[in-house]
Amino acid sequence: MPLPQKNTEIISDLKLWNQLIADDKAAFSALFEKYLNPLVNYGKTLMPSHEKVKDCVQDVFVDIWLYRHSLSDEVVVKAYLFSSVRKRIARLYERDRIFRQTTPLEDLEFSLKFSIEHSMINDETLELEVRQLNQLLNTLPPRQKETLYLRYHQGLSLEQIAEVLEINHQSVKNLLHRAILHLRKEWKGSISLLLIGGYLAL
Amino acid sequence: MQPRDLYTKVEDFLSDESFQRWVRFKENHTHWEEWTLESPERAKLVAEARVWVLSMKIEETELSAQEIQRSLQDTWEAIQTQQVQKPIWKMSWFRVAAAVLLVGTAAMTYFLVQKNPAQAVITYKDLVEKDTEGLIEQTNNSNKPQLITLADASSVLLQPKSKLSYPKEFSGNERKVYLSGEAFFEISKNPSKPFYVYANEVVTKVYGTSFRVIAYPSLPNVEVLVRTGKVKVMPNEEIEADTKEGIMLLPNQAARFVRNNLSFEKILDITQDKPLIASTNTIEQLSFEFRDIPVEQIFTTIEQAYLVKIEYPKEKLKDCYMTTSLSDEPLPEKLKIICESLGSDTRYEMNGNQVTIISSGCN
Repeated sequence: MPLPQKNTEIISDLKLWNQLIADDKAAFSALFEKYLNPLVNYGKTLMPSHEKVKDCVQDVFVDIWLYRHSLSDEVVVKAYLFSSVRKRIARLYERDRIFRQTTPLEDLEFSLKFSIEHSMINDETLELEVRQLNQLLNTLPPRQKETLYLRYHQGLSLEQIAEVLEINHQSVKNLLHRAILHLRKEWKGSISLLLIGGYLAL
Repeated sequence: MQPRDLYTKVEDFLSDESFQRWVRFKENHTHWEEWTLESPERAKLVAEARVWVLSMKIEETELSAQEIQRSLQDTWEAIQTQQVQKPIWKMSWFRVAAAVLLVGTAAMTYFLVQKNPAQAVITYKDLVEKDTEGLIEQTNNSNKPQLITLADASSVLLQPKSKLSYPKEFSGNERKVYLSGEAFFEISKNPSKPFYVYANEVVTKVYGTSFRVIAYPSLPNVEVLVRTGKVKVMPNEEIEADTKEGIMLLPNQAARFVRNNLSFEKILDITQDKPLIASTNTIEQLSFEFRDIPVEQIFTTIEQAYLVKIEYPKEKLKDCYMTTSLSDEPLPEKLKIICESLGSDTRYEMNGNQVTIISSGCN
């Protein structure tokens, strides 16, 4: 699981990006190799077919190379890539809707299920707590889940999430805030002091 | 004191990479454990955050290095196929032209050096010598403007007694040209590769818009006028001007750089400024907004503007009328748009000042 992106990484991505714009094939390949996995994993939260998702990601990179001379040199590469993959998948759904007359999709639906990190749980109380929270997490509206995923798993900032989801910065803040607030409220099993024992037992 | 000492919410912990690593892989275990135990409130918060991390696991599949390479190869193959299929004019969506007029001579530069030896004066020669790319220099010794087409398909009309230096190809992230004298530029838009015109002490950065720069090195001022869009004018970094950042100009605004005190002034309405409106040249007076106009007449306008000769099948194109807006497009782009509108079998060839249109008529 990729963790929050550091500034140095954003800068080194941007360096590769600018080399790519200046026709450097090695820089293109480096970005491809680095982001194929995260992008495919993200795409799969929106569309179940692994092969189709991979095609979408490849198409995004094809366009990047073909239109590299019209790309902005001031982007957060990671957010740009995530956003492009999302749009690509949305377009594919739209095409399916028109040609195969499947049901229209209001918006892409984030369909990922959060699972439990069992390997790190060796305490019954903790296990109970985790299971409760995990269930609640999976009942969140897809948009809220996606925001949590992008923030805490892909390490995108609020601004970057706003770019990917094409909503404004404040809405992202609200989505996150609402999700966490809701979970807290519902999460009846309040954290008891017992849990401190839980982590000490690590 | 560490940033984490200020954490007050579960979210703070969730955004912390090292915290996630501790919970998931026990990295820095002792360290985090001791820190947690420093205060009971903190311990409570950490315990909660830990439950969050543990209940938000994502099952991910990882493609192997081999699979990644295969996918990369497929991508390059797709790029090859699409490159062949895509005619160049399709890229024209990304082009918006920019026009620049720069004027200058060397005489005043010399005068300024003599008069104010302490002040920075930058000459064309200084600028060209600093550029390490192999530059091509074109001098116009004739009495008519001369057309230059740059590697990025931008057009430059170089005025008599003027010089322009430019690279054969624009490599890197910038496009830079150097001017002595006067020229009218129409720049093809490329947001990732800004276009810079260096003329004496002034640098003009093009954002893909339409504007005019009048840099009179023989006179005490350098002026920049904007017609549409946005333009940035800044002092060459070698000199200590009153502003380092330069100024941003919007339509009908202008900037005047006063060379002997190295300061900029902004002119909010160019129509109120006589010296600025006095100096327009043919191409700027011609309109490229065509409404149901015979293509023959459009070609005549282009011939006048760029001083080129256009040959075309007169009989076949005699009934072709066109409505199009070609303002601010560089010449190659104008020709492409015209050919495209005439029909798919129409194309043009350009050889110096000679343009040939090949067409079997309009559709």
